[in-house]
Amino acid sequence: MLEVRGLKAGYDEVQVVHGVDLDIGEGVFHAILGRNGVGKSTTLKTIMGLLLPMDGDVVFKGETISGKPPHEIARHGIAYVPETRDIFGSLTVLENLQLAARMASGSNPAWTIDRVLAFFPNLAGRQSNSGSQLSGGEQQMLAIARALLMNPALLILDEPTEGLAPIIIHQIFDKLGELRRSGMTMLLVEQNFQFATRLCDTASIFGRGQCVWTGASDDLRADTDLHAQWLGV
Amino acid sequence: MSGTEFWATQFLNGLQLSMLLFLLSVGLTIIFGLMHFVNLAHGALYMLGAYIGVSIAMWTDNYWAAFFGAPIGVTIIGIALYTGVIKRMRKEGPMSQVLVTFGLIFVIVDLVRIVWGSIALGIPTPEILQGQVSIFGISYPAYRMFIIALGLAVMAGLSLMLARTSYGAMLRASVENGEMASAMGIDVEKLLFSVFCVGCALAGLAGVVAAPVFSATPAMATDILIPTLIVVVIGGLGSLTGAIVGSLIVGFIQTFGAVLLPSFSSILVYILLAGTLIIRPEGLVPARK
Repeated sequence: MLEVRGLKAGYDEVQVVHGVDLDIGEGVFHAILGRNGVGKSTTLKTIMGLLLPMDGDVVFKGETISGKPPHEIARHGIAYVPETRDIFGSLTVLENLQLAARMASGSNPAWTIDRVLAFFPNLAGRQSNSGSQLSGGEQQMLAIARALLMNPALLILDEPTEGLAPIIIHQIFDKLGELRRSGMTMLLVEQNFQFATRLCDTASIFGRGQCVWTGASDDLRADTDLHAQWLGV
Repeated sequence: MSGTEFWATQFLNGLQLSMLLFLLSVGLTIIFGLMHFVNLAHGALYMLGAYIGVSIAMWTDNYWAAFFGAPIGVTIIGIALYTGVIKRMRKEGPMSQVLVTFGLIFVIVDLVRIVWGSIALGIPTPEILQGQVSIFGISYPAYRMFIIALGLAVMAGLSLMLARTSYGAMLRASVENGEMASAMGIDVEKLLFSVFCVGCALAGLAGVVAAPVFSATPAMATDILIPTLIVVVIGGLGSLTGAIVGSLIVGFIQTFGAVLLPSFSSILVYILLAGTLIIRPEGLVPARK
């Protein structure tokens, strides 16, 4: 579904991603792991069109999307949950959701506002609160709910567990697990090794702006050397 | 005129100036907030609104044709400016934007001098708004009351649009975080362009509405610019409520300053500006929290 070929990207003069390849099939949950500053988030931003690639291609459902503006990429069916969640604090929870629902294509979307509120019951009672009044966990749920309302073919999540309490991480893990069983395709960047490898089918390890290993999550969990070399602190 | 009548008149004068400042600053502040673009030529669009209104009123002998035609004319000129200059300057820093749009003021002012000459031109007040109306027990020019009512109506209309419509929600989202808004499928560029057009139309509207009171002069382009920029900074970039609050503050300070402290009136708004920048540099009602 998503193919990334020889992607190079960065900020102004500073190149962070030095030739990344990824291949994510439909219905697969894929995790990108790696230490800080190895280009994980930069890769996601470039796929989403928030950064222009310096070189390489991003192909989504057979169509080259690299170089297109973010709103067109979103309309191709990619929804993005950034590391900072980026809830619109000046909008209410409901307005955040309505904005996303408006962007959904098709007349009969699978995800409706009622369905995401049933999926994240915590949000249901907070509809008229402004986005800035939410706790970190609620913000993360809203960010995911918002992405789902766009009824994407591919969901991109950047470090969804960052800064959250273990109990909330557990809830989000369960919810993402439900999505996995429903056949969603997801690309996840995560520092939380257990979370990522237990949730995802496959994984890539990034090191120094490149993809240094790709394989099944189970293999990665079994390989302690690999873990020590690229992920251990 | 008794004391109360005098103050009531000054109050209405302050309100009327505030409304003109609001019509100008609302476009400017949202363009600032959304596009991060400093358009100093916004005052020149106000002046153009007055002159285009003068010409339409002359040809048609009808104030209302000018009232509706001038905003359209100014929007067309604004679109030409946008595609010709502003769009290309988007990625440049604020310094280049300030220099180019400041230069544009002189170009537009000179073009106006060539087309319309340098003498002040007026638009006759429409018949229905001639004479005085009675309010708070004083009589006040009906046309000035009309400016106040128009300003309040635009304020209410824009507030409702921003608070209640999906277009408004898209706009608030884009001002707050343009990157995330575009990642959610909002064509922020297109949205910006529509906002820019509305801003131009309101500047043109302010110009044509002001013409019967102040006459159209080339000095309009720069005279109104400084108070408008002060409104934008005091209110907070990109904030509609900020534009409302800022316009009222600046309009009343200018009006009452001129009456109460004539020798200080010209520096009062600058003191206010400096004070705001020191105490609340993000403005009184910032768009981003």
